[in-house]
Amino acid sequence: MLVSKSLDTDLARSEKQTLYRIATLYLLLGIIIILGFSVMYYNAQKELMLQEQKSTLQQETKELLLRLKRLHVNFDKTQIYPRSKVYESAIFDSDKKQIFATTPTQLQLDKILYLQDGMISLVSIPESYYLGAKYVIVKIKDDGLWYSKTKQELLIFNFLALSVMFVIGYVLLRLFLKPMRDAMHLLDRFIKDTTHELNTPVSTIVTNIEMIERKKLDAQTLKKIKRIDVGAKTISNIYQDLTYLTLGNKIVTHDRLLDVGQLLHERVDYFTSLAEAKKVSLDLEIVTDGTLFIDSAKLSKLVDNLISNAIKYNKMHGYVHVILQKNEIVVADGGIGIAKENIKKMQERYARFTHVSGGFGLGLSIVASIAQEYALEISIDSKESEWTKVSVKW
Amino acid sequence: MVKIFLLVLLLSSLNAGVYETNCLACHKKLPVSIDKYFYRYLLKYSSERAVKKAMLEYLQHPSQESSVMGEAFLSRFGVKQKSHLSNASLKKALNVYWNTYKVFGKLK
Repeated sequence: MLVSKSLDTDLARSEKQTLYRIATLYLLLGIIIILGFSVMYYNAQKELMLQEQKSTLQQETKELLLRLKRLHVNFDKTQIYPRSKVYESAIFDSDKKQIFATTPTQLQLDKILYLQDGMISLVSIPESYYLGAKYVIVKIKDDGLWYSKTKQELLIFNFLALSVMFVIGYVLLRLFLKPMRDAMHLLDRFIKDTTHELNTPVSTIVTNIEMIERKKLDAQTLKKIKRIDVGAKTISNIYQDLTYLTLGNKIVTHDRLLDVGQLLHERVDYFTSLAEAKKVSLDLEIVTDGTLFIDSAKLSKLVDNLISNAIKYNKMHGYVHVILQKNEIVVADGGIGIAKENIKKMQERYARFTHVSGGFGLGLSIVASIAQEYALEISIDSKESEWTKVSVKW
Repeated sequence: MVKIFLLVLLLSSLNAGVYETNCLACHKKLPVSIDKYFYRYLLKYSSERAVKKAMLEYLQHPSQESSVMGEAFLSRFGVKQKSHLSNASLKKALNVYWNTYKVFGKLK
């Protein structure tokens, strides 16, 4: 049994969406944790810097208090407030009323050491209230070095953390995907093996049926042959679909200017016996003949799938109209239709929404793939239980 | 407008009168000038509200414990006698005293 080495495993859109959501959630969660850690680290660094500056500020406060004491004792002689080039200061009374300040200052009593507007401030309560000052604030300018250092460290840390997270996420995602990929791999392998094994018997049956001279047959045998013909064509279609999917990218394309009307005639003729067997009327209407630069096998595959679906998902005594109009092929049927919410998912591989007829859910996936290759526009409209209309425009 | 100004001036002079007659007159005779007491109060009570409250309490109920002056001062001059001025008069006098020696607006 031959197994192709190429793995055509693909993840369906909904599965990809789920994976994207998980990845986004993972990243978002990671970013929140990193941000939380960054904020904590920033606050810790700020606190460390404040504590480092605290002794300097305490020293300056001590010096200011000495000068305030001197001023208090000699207030009748001088009223010049003590100033310094190193620090700014402010004094407040016990009712938090500002007595004097070298720069505009607001008294905050919830913290004794804080950073505000680029100034590091220390609030002290001296034992004696010189000049009535119960609260003495001494402020020095923050040089911002700690901030630059912390910012740089955080940037490096965040970059490394995100990179590690990304790698872990990628490994986890691959682990999560493995069972799904294995399942799809298995399905692909099965299809490839089946396709290979079907090749010879299907070709033999179809060729031999075509070679039978039907005029020489009696009515009963002819009926049986027609049934075999229908069965063989169904198998042949499935076989071709599977071949296209498994070997799609290896098929040599022969694009040429094709008479679309003629091709439609051939395909409608081909499916007539299948339609008759399902008691479905199949007709072709050519409003405007047209040509298309395309590979004939691929256009046949596209049309075959549309007609085959229209017959397969039809009602007893239903109809299938194939219409060729200006730059458009329309396949309309009076079949079981499809729910609006399922129309978007129809072109996904293995998508099936009914069990009234057999199939792998590959047909419209192939149609979409060919349409994408030749930039054809596919539109599907349907009313559940009433009709479906598939249009291919170029 | 002139009447209001004159009224304010009159009230101020009346307040100043209470302070000068009942406080300053006696303190002038002491070797420690009256502003030294003010700065003692300021050193201990800080705000205008707290200083005035402490002074009023001391004037109405003077004691060694509630005095802001040191032991040496108290042993030399003793504790002041209780004031017989009314509450309102004392408050008026204290307002003048505060406005005379307050720190607010004087620092440069």
